Amino acid sequence: MTDAAGTIEAEQNRNIRKRWLLSLPALLIILVAATGPLLIVLLYSFLAPGPYGDVQWAPSLEGWIGVFLEKDIFDETLSLASAHISIFMRSVGLSLVTTILTLLVGFPTAYFIATRPEKTRELWLFLITIPFWTNLLIRTFAILEVIRNEGLINGLLIKTGLIAKPIQMLFTDGAILTGMVYVYLPLMVLPLYASMEKLDFRLVEAGYDLYATPFRVLRKIIIPLVKPGIIAGSILVFIPALGAYVTPSILGGGKNMMLGNLIELQFGQGRNWPLGSALSITLMLIVMVALLVYVRNAGSQGSRHG
Amino acid sequence: MAELNAVEIRQVSKIFGFGEFAFAAVDNTSVSIRQNEFFTLLGPSGCGKTTLLRLIAGFEYPTSGEILLNGEDIAAMPPFKRPINTVFQSYALFPHMTVAENIGFGLMMLGKPKREINERVDAMLKLVRMEALAGRRTSQISGGQQQRVALARALAPQPKVLLLDEPLSALDYKLRKDMQIELKRLQAETGITFIFVTHDQEEALTMSDRIAVMSSGKILQVGNPREIYDAPADRFVADFIGETNFLKGRIGSVANGIADVDTPVAGRISATVPQDFHAEGEVTVVLRPEHATLCPPDRADASQMTGTLENVVYFGTDTHYHVRLSDGETLFTLREQNKPLQVARFAAGDRVGIALEANAARVLRN
Repeated sequence: MTDAAGTIEAEQNRNIRKRWLLSLPALLIILVAATGPLLIVLLYSFLAPGPYGDVQWAPSLEGWIGVFLEKDIFDETLSLASAHISIFMRSVGLSLVTTILTLLVGFPTAYFIATRPEKTRELWLFLITIPFWTNLLIRTFAILEVIRNEGLINGLLIKTGLIAKPIQMLFTDGAILTGMVYVYLPLMVLPLYASMEKLDFRLVEAGYDLYATPFRVLRKIIIPLVKPGIIAGSILVFIPALGAYVTPSILGGGKNMMLGNLIELQFGQGRNWPLGSALSITLMLIVMVALLVYVRNAGSQGSRHG
Repeated sequence: MAELNAVEIRQVSKIFGFGEFAFAAVDNTSVSIRQNEFFTLLGPSGCGKTTLLRLIAGFEYPTSGEILLNGEDIAAMPPFKRPINTVFQSYALFPHMTVAENIGFGLMMLGKPKREINERVDAMLKLVRMEALAGRRTSQISGGQQQRVALARALAPQPKVLLLDEPLSALDYKLRKDMQIELKRLQAETGITFIFVTHDQEEALTMSDRIAVMSSGKILQVGNPREIYDAPADRFVADFIGETNFLKGRIGSVANGIADVDTPVAGRISATVPQDFHAEGEVTVVLRPEHATLCPPDRADASQMTGTLENVVYFGTDTHYHVRLSDGETLFTLREQNKPLQVARFAAGDRVGIALEANAARVLRN
């Protein structure tokens, strides 16, 4: 009896060892490709900046202090770095607005596709993914071409005589938002579509049957049921929007910075790698906290709704 | 003044598709459904019965024609304004709500006060005997229980008409029998007009006050179950409702609604003729399987047809016999009730005679 139990245990141990061995390549890739660079960034954030970029191998908290505080040039007193804080606020604000706008545009789009006959749905989805084929930079320059002062819209408006002077659209928050909504829209539509496709449209009929107006059917039946898609889409849009770099730097010009541009500045002209590293980690932490809060809220509701 | 019909369908057509792909799911159909009636739309799948139900519910709008509810034309009214509720084939219960929330949904949408909703939900739970499961998720209850919740949800707002789209088809046999009785009870207790869609003729016969038999978008016959079964209007109805034997023959003399029909396989049969039908020449005679019995082939006084017994199918309550008649073509089906400790009188391959009961045969309206 005990012998048999012993053999089974040994067998199980061997199995576990074998499993570890087989998953070793995957673990190595995760370590080298994902965790490694992050650890380097974390390490750099605690070092002193070198004079021409790079870092000096001396422990320092300057980088971290610089995230939210700034030193007065004359008396070295610390005060809140209002520029950084406003960039953080702008980034979070613009990302939230981008998420809401993509949701407002993406929801009807996804609903439209999900209610098409099964055969034509693939075509619509294909059309949604077409922008992915083009480089982000080129797409952003295309928007620039449309909205700049000598661009398509202003040109048309002036030609038709509706306005005399071009409307300044480029280098505004509106331009950044337009670019980000355009770039991130597919990331909202696809998960929304995935959960709408699973939606049983007989439930929508049941809603109509039970005296719910179209608006109430949307609020009481469709939205609660496609909530997982709304959550997934919002996460997929909000996170990259928060770290967006190309779009705000081209469409926002130099003055309307977002976090991504601020970080880039530290590694480029700013020559303050530790500050850049600390800002990157801070961005990651914001994303993680936002995710945790969001998933927890959504998760508890999800379980309540079964 | 005569009482208004609960629902009146007037020359309604519903055409799907365009041009050469156009297809009339409901084809210029008229029917009246009376107040407090258990009315069944019966037909094979694809006959248009569900489309007709969806037109009444408002999920589809008719291509032409009028739909009246208590005398008011509702053909263009959206479903959420119609005082009509539906029990869906798949139940379509809201998975993100509890049993009680599902039942209260319609009342909530009508803007009823909370107290009234709660009272009504409790009453409904009691009516369908689901009090204990009010707080459950709809995914945590069985198919039969889901069925009850779907019924309670549709009845809670006290609709003028309740539509039921094959609601019992997903249940197993025993549960289906229970629910048939339950539905009749609910209809009697609530006094609501029920319009029931099914392809199951037995279900239709046992539950309905009146039945409309549909095929290819048209209503072929409307009548109470006995009329439909005993006096089918045409060959389709006769064939669809129950099992039927068809014999070809030639009308001889007609007197007092009884015709002598000369048939090649069974000789002269006397058959009832439908009222106001002038029977003449070649006709088809229908015979129900339970109106015939097997006998020895040489009993000249009883036997009207002879043939070879091809197979015997035991059904528990009764036994079905398939007899190849002497013309070598017609397969005649008959059904005998089983008696206690009965010994099989005939086996496959035996030569047998078939005796018909009086008034068993009926001339079919062509």
